[in-house]
This record gives sequence, structure tokens and C-alpha cells, in this order.
Amino acid sequence: MTRYIINRLLWLIVVLFVVSLITFILMHLVPGGPWDKEKTLAPQVVEALNKKYGLDQPIIVQFGNYLGGILHGDLGVSYSFQDRNVTDIILQGLPKTATLGVVAFILAILIGIPFGMAAALKQNSWIDYLSVLFSTIFASIPGFVLGILLIIILSVELHWLPTGGWGSVQQIIMPAFALATLPAAFIARMTRASTLEVLRQDYVRTAQAMGLRQRVILTRHVLRNSLIPVVTVAGPELAALISGSFIIENLFSIPGIGRMFVNGVFARDYGLIMGSVLFYAFAVALINLVVDIMYAVIDPRIRFD
Amino acid sequence: MTIATESARPHHTLWGDAWIRLRRNRLAVAGAIIILIIALAAIIYPFFSKYDFASQDLNAILQGPSSAHLLGTDELGRDVLTRLVSGARTSLMVGVFTQIIVLGIGMPIGAISAAAGGWVDNIMMRFVDVIYAFPDILLIILVRSILGGSIYMIFLAIGLVNWVGIARLVRGQILSLKQRDFVTAARVFGGSGGYTTMRHLLPNSLGPVIVSVTFNIPRAIFTEAALSYIGIGVQPPTPSWGAMIRDGYNVIFAAPHLVLFPAIAIGLLMLSFTFLGDGLRDALDPRLRR
Amino acid sequence: MVKKILTIFFALVIITSLIVMPACSSAPSGPQNLTVNIAGEPSQIDPNRASWSTERTVIMQVFEGLLGFNQDLSLKTVGATDMPTVGNGGISADGKTYTFKLRPEVTWSDGVKVTAHNYEYSIKRLFDPDLAAEYTSFYFNIVGGQAYYEAISATTAAKAQLHDAVGVKALDDYTLEIKLINAQPTFLQLMALWPTYPIREDIVTQYGATWTEPPHYIGNGPFIMTEWVHSDHITMIKNPNYWGDKAKLDKLVLNMTTDANALFAAYQNNEVDISGVPAGTEKTVMADTTLSPQILRFAELTTFAFQFNVTTAPFDNKNLRKALNAGIDRDAFINNVRGGVGQPAYSWIPPGMPGYDANLGADYHFDVTKAKAFLTAAGYSDGSKVPELHLQYADTGINPTIAQFIQQQMKTNLNISVVIEPMERKAFTQAVNAEQYTWAWYGWGADYPDPEDWLPQLFGTGAGNNHTNYSSAAFDSLCAQAAVELDNAKRLDLYAQAQAMVVDDAPVLFMFYRERFVLVKPHVQGLKHTGMDGDVPGDMFFANVWIQN
Repeated sequence: MTRYIINRLLWLIVVLFVVSLITFILMHLVPGGPWDKEKTLAPQVVEALNKKYGLDQPIIVQFGNYLGGILHGDLGVSYSFQDRNVTDIILQGLPKTATLGVVAFILAILIGIPFGMAAALKQNSWIDYLSVLFSTIFASIPGFVLGILLIIILSVELHWLPTGGWGSVQQIIMPAFALATLPAAFIARMTRASTLEVLRQDYVRTAQAMGLRQRVILTRHVLRNSLIPVVTVAGPELAALISGSFIIENLFSIPGIGRMFVNGVFARDYGLIMGSVLFYAFAVALINLVVDIMYAVIDPRIRFD
Repeated sequence: MTIATESARPHHTLWGDAWIRLRRNRLAVAGAIIILIIALAAIIYPFFSKYDFASQDLNAILQGPSSAHLLGTDELGRDVLTRLVSGARTSLMVGVFTQIIVLGIGMPIGAISAAAGGWVDNIMMRFVDVIYAFPDILLIILVRSILGGSIYMIFLAIGLVNWVGIARLVRGQILSLKQRDFVTAARVFGGSGGYTTMRHLLPNSLGPVIVSVTFNIPRAIFTEAALSYIGIGVQPPTPSWGAMIRDGYNVIFAAPHLVLFPAIAIGLLMLSFTFLGDGLRDALDPRLRR
Repeated sequence: MVKKILTIFFALVIITSLIVMPACSSAPSGPQNLTVNIAGEPSQIDPNRASWSTERTVIMQVFEGLLGFNQDLSLKTVGATDMPTVGNGGISADGKTYTFKLRPEVTWSDGVKVTAHNYEYSIKRLFDPDLAAEYTSFYFNIVGGQAYYEAISATTAAKAQLHDAVGVKALDDYTLEIKLINAQPTFLQLMALWPTYPIREDIVTQYGATWTEPPHYIGNGPFIMTEWVHSDHITMIKNPNYWGDKAKLDKLVLNMTTDANALFAAYQNNEVDISGVPAGTEKTVMADTTLSPQILRFAELTTFAFQFNVTTAPFDNKNLRKALNAGIDRDAFINNVRGGVGQPAYSWIPPGMPGYDANLGADYHFDVTKAKAFLTAAGYSDGSKVPELHLQYADTGINPTIAQFIQQQMKTNLNISVVIEPMERKAFTQAVNAEQYTWAWYGWGADYPDPEDWLPQLFGTGAGNNHTNYSSAAFDSLCAQAAVELDNAKRLDLYAQAQAMVVDDAPVLFMFYRERFVLVKPHVQGLKHTGMDGDVPGDMFFANVWIQN
């Protein structure tokens, strides 16, 4: 197990290198650069800016410089926020985005798994249909529409919550809910499907035939086994939530990294893009590793060899 | 006599059997019918409507539902009903084609990876990690800015970022199924690795995959809406539900019905896919075969 | 007779009381806090390096220059005692040397005196190639400036030499001399813009790139920045050491919401005091009894148009361009699609700017018959004979609506087929800047209120912002004469002739002049908007604003 984890961590370095190389190449392939502005900059200005940020050098040298910087723990400078370096920008935005993501994730789990379980255990009952109906409704409204509906009802009409910003519990409620609905619906459906699957397995039937108590069967066999596919999808959902949602952060004016990153892409802020992608890749790879380890914990039959 | 009874029992293939069971599931059939109706309407309705999805009436802008326009008009005075029905085509295409790409890439990679195990699994999963490690939105924006704005590029962009989920799901399923008795049995009786995967592992892992696909179709329709929101969606004036929701969002304080109707349409489609997906999952479950 | 006098007397009393009363009741009351919204995190707030938009709003609260603008956008003195003229010796007879006398009472927010050396440091820094400031090219007429800025790869010693050679000099603590290469009648306007605001050398040296973070961000304006929560908000307080009339507000908060609907909701939830209205929602707001009295509408010095790439077929055909100009029902667009917000444009320079001419572009008022005549003159017997036109735009805001409107107009009015091509915003900008487009949607807003910013910049042969590839020797010659013409009437006449040429040649399809449609809470008093305010109405004069609860 320890060897497996070390192995995966070494792979992580390779993955990060490949990711940064591909990002670097793609970024420079995309039409438009950081200095293409609606009011065209004078050629002298573009030249000075390129010189200042090292963009006048060959791409391969730029990539080399970048990697060199990373080895010194320096993610480079941002072109759209010119007096701040990328590390600072990410470190300032990350706690906000991550807090929001974790709250949303917990909400999604708390809503999704019980609903899915209940629906499966009482298949074709009213709770099953209710669960389907709710997950469909919430999954049918895009985040930005759900978000603005929440704002209209809770802020504009009732004046209960602030429309956006960051810093208080009241400001988390709406964005977390808007973020949680789709994963919650997804997790509910997934839980229902895999629970039904497990309930049909021979060992559950055997256990039932042997007269084991329903609660024991549920906790010892059903819950455990039906969570495997759920863990598979929940991991990436968590990764997605922690890396931030541009749309929700933008709508609720949250100073997180999701909003910053997409604006960085639109601004061709190479430094910010590279830094964000590397960070994202690192977070996702780490979460995937945790998911794989959790497989082993939940399902002892899976071994790492 | 015993022999006669045996032979009288019809021998069904996995798929034939599934089809019979699917037909018996009323909700699944209803879902399929609604999807068909939506698809058919998208094709036929334009011939009967007195409006064209692109024709504007500048004297009838942002109107609520009326007898002339059953679902009202949009910001350029276009008939919302006509656009909704025409938009179904774009949205169904976005939903279905992206999932074809997703399944086409994701299933084989997940299956091969899990079945082969060892270094093949390791290499493939690290490749999946690399793709996975790219933020979706970056890949989509890059693909869209490099390859241009046609609708096929949207399918491609959304498909390319989403297949890894299916690959990991299939792999996870197969890994857990591999340990089960019937697979072990198949191996013991001399089934080759590839055969075992195709005959036993893949069909058995289809349940969660189908659920995931029926969920991902509306999700892809959403992604398209999100792309519209940030300014890289489908090319107007061709309507899509996602773009209609975005356009409606812009004027939600003035004309909420512009968001409402496409949202209801997506909900209906999603519900249909859900029922169909559940039906398919049950129908394909080999343990329910007779 | 007596009755008549009495009537007049009472009438006068009533009128006077009507005039005086509101002024009396309209005094500051309650907490003097104003919260407004800027469209996102500023790129940076270094006056030398800042460009337009959000940065400018922040800088103008904390800094001020030698000159500034009145509400009608005429020039006024701020840090200078007098407006330099040839008469008072502020401008040399050849128009190439400017001498500014500084007000000795002006101080920085930490109490230190503002001197001519601060200005000299700032303007020389503006040309520092290592700083790579974006607006520097506006000031290349200052002696030695361009040479210094272009010496990107020079040695440190050579750079130092070029730095010292820049024609800006503090003759003493309160006299600043600036030498120009050529006489430039618009130079004083440039001196009212933020890149020439004074900067403290000691602070920049001490804190480096972090000098723009509070508490190091020391300016000479009416407000002090006390807090900058990145991507969230900026807080400012009244500068107690301000030399002039101190700000009436105690606190000014700049929020950074970017979604138009969210901002509108925040306004309705009393989180901001001034807000835009989401495009398309204007009519609803006008019909709302609570919101309609809070509407503030004013013209902005911005023209929106579709530029043709006049070197690509079929847009190289002048009569085709004129046909398209005449075949668009701009009134329908403004009145029906935009809810009456904006003003149809038939020429380039917008109303409110010197050089606006309402009589220009008479040929372009919507008239299908006339449009078809132009089409015939262009060599097309019918619109269907025109090759399919391709229209590009950045896929943001209401651009898709505008593009689809044009598409339908062309089809209905002229039977011309248009394919619209939305592009990712940066890809679009790049395509336009590289002139790899055919027909593109764009807008131009004033950097400073003068035709110089509107004609040679955009339609001069090879000019930086000329992406239509329009080229006319006669136009270039008119602009060249105007650039150095010190007689203002003559200068404006030259520009008027130049604009008439552009309008006649139609390198663009003129669409509309922007009108701002914003909401202001009734307790916000003394707001003074101008045509150059951008997203934050009244941001040039927030020091005059007070709250009356």
C-alpha cells in the first residue's frame, strides 16, 4: 500500500509535467495574446510589454524559464493583475473557493445519498418518485438561473440574504446551494442505481434468506457495496467543486479562483492560466488517489499489486 | 417430455431479452415516447408553424404568452414556441452526439484498462489523469478558439472533456465485478481475458454507465447553456435550449417566461431520459434474465 | 393694481421658496457612506501604467493632476494655479514649451507637500521602457520620450542618459516645464489625464510593486484608500489633508460585481447606491413605480458601429457600404429592441463632443429606395446578387442580439444574406487588430474630448486603431494640418471637413451613440455625471456627493 502510494505520487510529477507542457503549447496556439486590446496598443508598447514579461523569447526558452521558476516555488506573474504574482492570487482565492466547494459537497452528499438509498429501498413508492422528481427539477435548472432565482426570491423580494460577496455565513448559503443541487441529484441517482444493483446480488439474497436482520444487511453489505460507484463519481465532483465554478463565483461576486481562472483564460493571462492549471491538476490527481485508496477501504477485494 | 419443455423455452440473446423487458416497463416506454415526440416535433413543426425561428417582429418584443404567440416572444420579437421546438434539435444533438463521443472513447479505455490490469492499466489511467487534470472550461475555450465556432466543434469540445468520467466508472465497475463468482467461473472454464470482458464484464457494468449517460445528456445540454453564458455557445440565429436560457437570463427581470419555457423543456427531456435510463438498466441486468 | 402687485409678490415668494427649500432640506444627513460598483478587479492602479475602465475610477479618487475636467468636459486647473496660455506665458510663442505653476498648498495625504519634482518623476517614469506603461504613446510628443521608451534593450547607463534627456523639468519646487517636439493644441487635455498625475518617488522606491497596496498608496486626491480586498472590494475614506474642498463623504466603497443581473439585484437589496440596468430591462424599470424616479439617463461619448475591412471584396465597394448604411432601420433598433436607450448614429463623432455635426450622414437615414439606388450604383441589380456577407463579433453581452438584428434587416430590407460569426472575445480582438476580418462590430469611446482622438487615430492611413484599412491622402492631409493648428476654430473646421470625408466614404456602418441608463438611490445627492464616466457614473466628482437620509 505504501509503495503504491509512493508510486502514484511519483507519477503525479510526470502528470503535472505533461499537463503543463500541453497547456503551454495550447495556450500559445490560441488566437489572441495578452496585449490584444480593444484599443490597439502602440507597437512600441507591445514590444516593451513583451520584453518586460519575457514573451520576446522563443517559446521553448519561455517554457524552460517557467519550469525553472516552479522549481524555486515561483508560479510567475499575472499579466492581468500586474502587480501580483500568481502564487499570491491562487492562495488568496483558494480558501474561499475551497470552503464554498466543501460546503456544497457536504450538502450534496447529505441530500444525495439518503435520498438515493431511500428511493432504492422503497423502489416504485412515493419516496422513489419524489426523489426522481426533485433530482430532475434541480438538475433541469442551470446554475446561473437557479442562482439568480434564489437571489430574486431571498434577496430582492424577502431581503433575507445579501446578493453576494464573501465573509459571512449568510453569503455562503445561496452559492453553496446553487452549486450543490446538480451533484446532489447526480449522487442520488447514482446511489439509487447501485443500491438496487447490490440488493439483487446473491450474497444479499443469501443473507436475507438466512434471516439476518435487515439493518445488519443494510449496513454490512448494501451500504458498503453500493457506495463504490458513488465514490467514483463523488471524487471528481469534489474536485470540480473545490476548483471552483466560474459561473457561481461570478454571479455571487465571490473572490475565488474559479472566476479568476476563466477571466485569466479570456485575458490570455498565461501566468495565471499555467498556475491555475497546475494547481487544479495537482488537486484532481490527489483526490483521485484518495478515491482509489477508498476503493480498497470500502471493497476489501480490491488489492493493489 | 423434459427435453421438450427445455427446447420449447425460447433462447433469447442479451439484447433481445432486454428489449422485451424494456417494453414491459411503462415509465421507460413513456420516456422513450416523449423523447421521440420531441425529436419528431423538432423536425415536423417548422412546416406547420406560421413563424420562422429567425423571423423578427420588432413591434412585438418580449411579449408574454398570447393567442398569437402561445409562449410569447423574445428580445427580437421572435416566436418562442417556434424557437423552442427548433431548439430541441440542436439540444438533442448536443446531448446525444457528445455522449456518443464520450462512450466511444471512455468505455473501451475503461474496459481495457481494468481487464488488462498491470502496467497497461497504470499507463492508461495516468493518461486519463492528464486529461482529467485539465480544467474542462480551459479545454473547451481552447478547442473553440482554435477550431472555430461550428456546432460540431461544441460536440467535440464537450465530448473530449467528459469521456474520462465514463472511463473511470467502467474501470471501477469492472474491477469490482472481476472478483465476482460468475467471472471467476468464466475464467475457470477457459474464457480468454478479452472474451470475458466482452461477454460478462462490460454488459454487467452497463447499469451505472447507462444511468450516467442519461444524466450526462441533459448535463451536456447545460454545459452548452453555460458556454453560452460565458460567450462561446452555438452560432445564432439557430436556437438551442441552452442559448435560449442564456438569452432569457439576460432579461430575467423583464420577461421571466423566456427562461421558464426552455427550463421546463429541459426538465421534461431529462425526466424522459431518466425513466428510459432506469428501464434500460433494469432490462440489461443479466441477473434478471430468464 | 395693488392686487396685481400682491399676486406677483406672492408668486415670487412661492417661486423663491420652491428654489430655496429643496436646497435647505438637501443637506448631508445620516452616515456619509457611498457604495458603488466597478466592473471587476482593476488590473493595477499605478497612475502611470493604468489604462481606461476600472483602474481609472480608483485612481481618480486618490490622485489628481495639474489639470482636470469640468462637468461639461472643459478644462480646469487643479494642481496648477493658472491654465497655461500664450498670453500668460504658460505656453511659448511657438507652442512647444509649457510652463505650469503649482499651487503650494497642495499636499499628499500624509501631509508632505506636492512639488514639481513629483510631476517630473512621474512623467519621466511614464517613459521608462521597463515599466511598459500602456498609455505612454499618447505622450510621444514630449521631447525625448519616445526615444527613452523605445530603448528597451539599452544598457542601464544608456537608459539613465535617455531618462535625463526627457523634456520634463522641475525648474523649482513649484514650477514645471515640459518641452514638446511639435506644437500640439490638445496637449493640455492630455495633461488632465491620469498618466501624468504626480507620484512619490520615495514610496515607489521603498515599496516596489506593492506601493499600490494600502497603506502605501499615497495620493493627493480627496480620498485615501484604506483597504483593497482583491476581487472583492476597495474601501476609501475622506482625505483629511486634502488641500481643497474636502470630500463630503466619510467612506466610499467600490464593489466588484460583474454580472449585470446580480448588480441590479444588489441595488434592489440596498447593497449598492448606483447600478446599471441589465440591457433589455429598461422598459420594465421605467414602468416600475419605485425604480422609475431613480433612473438617471445621459449621453456617453461613445459611438457603436460595424467596421468594414475596405480592402476586402465586396466591402471595397463604396456604394455597397453606403447601401448597407441606408438599409438599416436604426430607429427600430433603438426604440423597439433597446427600449429607447441610445441615439441613432449617422456620422462618427458623438453629440456632446466638439466636432459633432447633426447634418452629416443624411444619406444614411433609413430609406430602402435610396439603399437600393446605392446598390444599383454599386453594380448589383438586386441584393441577392451581393455575395454572402460575413459579420464577426465578440460573443458577449447583447452583441448577439445586435448581430441578429442586422442579419434580419439586411435580408428583409435589401435581400442580402449575412452570415453572423460569434467569436471568443480575445480571438475576435486579435482578428480585428490583425485586420483578419471582413465586417466587425465595435465601439469607440473618448479618451479625451477632442476630434483628434476620433479621426486621425481611427481613419488615418496606417494609424494604430485604423483597422478598416481606410486610406485617403486628402483626409490625412487635413488631419496633419489640424494636429498643429493652434487656432481652435480653424482646427475644428479642418476636422469637420475630415469627418465629412469619412462619413461620405463610409468605412463603417454607423449604428448608435451610447446612452447610459443607470439607477441612483434617492439619498445620493450632488452626483455629477459626464460623457466620459464609463461604468461608474459621476466618478470624476465623488468628492461632491453627499448622502441625505
